[in-house]
Amino acid sequence: MENDKLIDLAAKIANTRDEKAFSEIFDFLAPKVNSYYLKNNLSFEQSEELTQEVLSAVWLKADLFNPDKSKFITWAFTIARNKKIDLYRKQNNKKIEDQDVRDFLYQHNNISDYEIESSINKIKQELDENQQKLIKMSFFEQKSHKKIAEELEIPLGTVKSRIRSTLNKMQKFLT
Amino acid sequence: MNTTAQKNELIFGYSSGNLGEAKSLFVSMYLYLNSFAAKKASIFDNILADNFANLDEIAPRKLNYKDCIESTSKKNQKDEISGNLNPITNLVGNLENLKWKSIYKGFKEYVLPVNDGDTVKLIKMDPGTSVPLHSHNGREYILVLDGSFCDEYGEYKKGDMQINDQQIKHHPTACDNDGCVCLSITENDVVFFGKFASILNLFTFIKSFFK
Repeated sequence: MENDKLIDLAAKIANTRDEKAFSEIFDFLAPKVNSYYLKNNLSFEQSEELTQEVLSAVWLKADLFNPDKSKFITWAFTIARNKKIDLYRKQNNKKIEDQDVRDFLYQHNNISDYEIESSINKIKQELDENQQKLIKMSFFEQKSHKKIAEELEIPLGTVKSRIRSTLNKMQKFLT
Repeated sequence: MNTTAQKNELIFGYSSGNLGEAKSLFVSMYLYLNSFAAKKASIFDNILADNFANLDEIAPRKLNYKDCIESTSKKNQKDEISGNLNPITNLVGNLENLKWKSIYKGFKEYVLPVNDGDTVKLIKMDPGTSVPLHSHNGREYILVLDGSFCDEYGEYKKGDMQINDQQIKHHPTACDNDGCVCLSITENDVVFFGKFASILNLFTFIKSFFK
C-alpha cells in the first residue's frame, strides 16, 4: 500500500475513529508485524499477542503519527520493535515506563525522515544485494553470526568480516 | 582506534533492539542529548523499516481487527504523557536529590537500578577533580550529561561520548567551572597506573568479590 493511502487511513482513524479505515490498515500491517516477530524467533502465540498490541497501539495512537516526520511504515516498524524490547523486559519483570517517553520523543524531536532521505537512498544504492542481506539477517532478524554462517554456508570469520565491511561502507553515508 | 565505528554500532544495536538494558538506557540518553546521533538512528530505523515493508507476510491465525479495537477499550484510554523526556531523570528523578556515594574527594558516583550484566552509573566530578591514570579490562562508555571533562584525547562536552578499551590509558579531569556529570558503563574493571595504583587496584580486586 502506498504511503499516501496509509496517511489517509491513519488520519481517518485519528479524526473519526473510522473502523473501516482501521480494518484496511490491519489487513496491510498485521501480516507484516506477525511475520517480523516470527522471523525474530518468537512463538506463534507470542507473535500474535504482540501483533495485537501493535495494532491496538495504532488504533489508539494514530493521532501521534506525523506524516511530515516519517513514513507510516517506519512509524509502525518502530512501534513493533519497541514492543519486542518491552517483551524481553517483561520477562525480566521490569516495569514498562518507556513507551510514553518514546511517543513523546517521536512527537517532539525535530528530525524529519524526509531530511535524511538522501542518506537513506545513498546507503540503499551503495550496498549490494549480499550486503543488504547481511544487514537484514543481523540487525532485522537478529540472527547470530554463527546462524548466519550456517544459513549462507560460509565460514564464521567471513560473516564477521563481511558485516564489518558492510557497516564501514554504510557509515560513510551517515551524515 | 576508530571510535566513530563503535559509536555507530551502538546506535545500530539500539535501532534493531538487541542491546541489553544498560546500553539501551545509555544510548537513549545519547540520542536525547546529541541530535547528530539521533539522526543516525533515524537513518538506520528507515533502513530496517524497509526490510519490514518488504517482508513475506504471514497473517495471524486468530486475530482480527475487532479484537485490537476491543482490547483497547478495556484498558484506560490514553495514558497521560509526562512532560519529562530525559530518560535518566525519568528513571531516577532529579539528580541533585540522589544519594551519591563519595568515592574520593571531589568524585561521587550513583549506580543506576538496572538489572544487567553491564553496570551503568552516574559520575559527578567537582571542578578540577581528576581520575588517576588508568585503562580498562573491558570497554568503558562515557557520556557527558553536564559540564565537561578533558583528557589526553581532547575535551568532551555535554552530549559527547567517549569509548575506551584496553589500549587506552587516560587521565580525565573535570575542566568546566561547574565540574562534570557523566553517565558511564563499564563492562569490566578499571586498571590504575601511577603512585596509588596498587591500592586502587587492590580496592577494585576486593570490590569484585561483592559483585
